[in-house]
Amino acid sequence: MWSLAVHTLIADRGKLLTALVGVIFSIVLVNVQGGLFVGLIRKAGLLVDQGEADIWVGHKRMHNVDFARDVPRRWVHRIRTVPGVRRAEPYLVGFADMTLPSGGFEQVLIVGVDRVSLLGGAWNLTRGSAEAILQTDGVILDECESEKLEHPRMGDVRELNGRRARIVAMSNGIMGFLVTPYVFTTYERAAEYIGKEPDACSYFLVQTEPGADVAQVCAGIRQVAPRLEAFSRNEYSRISIDYWMTRTGLGISFGAATLLGLLVGMIMVAQTLYALVLDRLGEFGTLKAIGATERQVYSILLIQAFIMALVGSILGLGIVSGIQYFYSTPQAPIMVPWGLSLGSCVLVLAICLVSSLLPYYRIRKLDPMMVLQS
Amino acid sequence: MTVDRATDAPRAEDSAVWAEGVHKAYRAGATVTPVLCGVDLAVRRGECVFLAGPSGSGKTTLLSILGCILSADRGRVRVADEELAGLDEPRRAALRRHRIGFVFQRFHLIRGLSVLDNVRVPLVLRAAPPDAARRRALDLLDAVGLADMARSHPRNLSAGQCQRVAIARALVADPPVILADEPTASLDAVSGQETMELFHRLTAQDGKTAVVVTHDPRIFRYADRVFHLDGGRIVRTEQQPSDALACTAGV
Repeated sequence: MWSLAVHTLIADRGKLLTALVGVIFSIVLVNVQGGLFVGLIRKAGLLVDQGEADIWVGHKRMHNVDFARDVPRRWVHRIRTVPGVRRAEPYLVGFADMTLPSGGFEQVLIVGVDRVSLLGGAWNLTRGSAEAILQTDGVILDECESEKLEHPRMGDVRELNGRRARIVAMSNGIMGFLVTPYVFTTYERAAEYIGKEPDACSYFLVQTEPGADVAQVCAGIRQVAPRLEAFSRNEYSRISIDYWMTRTGLGISFGAATLLGLLVGMIMVAQTLYALVLDRLGEFGTLKAIGATERQVYSILLIQAFIMALVGSILGLGIVSGIQYFYSTPQAPIMVPWGLSLGSCVLVLAICLVSSLLPYYRIRKLDPMMVLQS
Repeated sequence: MTVDRATDAPRAEDSAVWAEGVHKAYRAGATVTPVLCGVDLAVRRGECVFLAGPSGSGKTTLLSILGCILSADRGRVRVADEELAGLDEPRRAALRRHRIGFVFQRFHLIRGLSVLDNVRVPLVLRAAPPDAARRRALDLLDAVGLADMARSHPRNLSAGQCQRVAIARALVADPPVILADEPTASLDAVSGQETMELFHRLTAQDGKTAVVVTHDPRIFRYADRVFHLDGGRIVRTEQQPSDALACTAGV
């Protein structure tokens, strides 16, 4: 039956190609849309994901890593007493204005890290080193924000909220969900730029002892500092992502576009399968006349739909890989999780199989008598 | 030679194809057009009979009923030892698949398939082992003289060759009954002659029962009997002389 289905399918290459375009279109659209969405939304938890901390501790109502509320810095000592905590350091996040050479200014997000451990500091450095922030007025900017910040270069001096800042290192690809560029510096200097009291901080970044139960350590932290909240890295990353998901309707708009793509692909596949069958009614009539069962006829359609889904998915994923390779940038990262690829293939397969019902309905009504009348 | 059909009719049990009092009418809205009006027919095992008559006489409808493609409105039909009355569609399809081979006027080969694959189709539908099916199909192609075209596609064959492929397909599953609908109508005189020679030889050598619809009197000599239909009835049965084929073939 496979041979019968395959050969009759490839006999009409024009229609097969049309159907494949439909499947490929669906796969590419779902994966690229999904990949862009994942890439974009994952930026919301970028500091958390890359911060090298196992636990993030902050204000009881902490809900987004970029919008931190102040907590007393001195509580870091309580956290350090919790069993399982190897290291706990204060971390500061806040907004400031950077002056630009043209006379304008750009709002930036200052990130202040502990000057000894540099925990939660910049990564992916292309010029300079993470320790360079220890230099006088040292700050780290990201190359990808170059245009927005009017092309800063190593050694350039800028002002952050009226205070001097000197670019001592450059990173690549540290771009958050917000349009504000990140600026990394020491905790103390960040407090000056933001205008915080020295005793205020945004978070405590905690690294646990090897083998420690992170959930248990979080519980211990809540116990010694009841006015603080403690989340594991994954938890807080998800919370930061959920913040944008639930408050912006981003998921709905991306999801709607993706569904639309699926719908278009489904219609293309169904229409093509139907056209293929209409073109071959005589052949299906012949099969019925010589004794093919309804099940056998439907299995031919199912096999053809399966082949279209399989080949289309493979080609589509190949194109997605190419798009990802050539067009994914830190500004618009295309992150396609394997689950998304697999899910889209399964979905397209299901759509193709369902689409085959339409031509099947037509064949069911087909009277094999037509073979003798034509 | 013309004989009275009633006196020469074999019993249902002795017949490969048997029909009694078959009525069929087509309905279009309130209009009812009778096509068959009480047809009786009995074909012995191994016999080759023709259904002849003018257009609209009911030949193809009768063939469709004998082939389980249509149901009679009234009357009894028995094909390959199976009473058709009361058979549901799956069982009718099974009967077509296992007991009947079809040869159609326009061949109805599947264009995406090679000649070999076309011949194999009935065996594929019967879920026969692929190797055995391939061997059997090649044997049949050899028998119809197309073994060297097994890998060709129908679009590359002449009409006569296509009909030979169709004959091979009808015989490949070794059904006891072969039904052919105007097998020479789409062929020129020479091809038609060759096709009927082949059809007659292959069905006769394996003892198949064949029912052939035709309106081409030039091929009547290949029949053991010719049933002439008109107005939905068998009006005359013509018994062919036993040596008719030998004489006309010049043997």
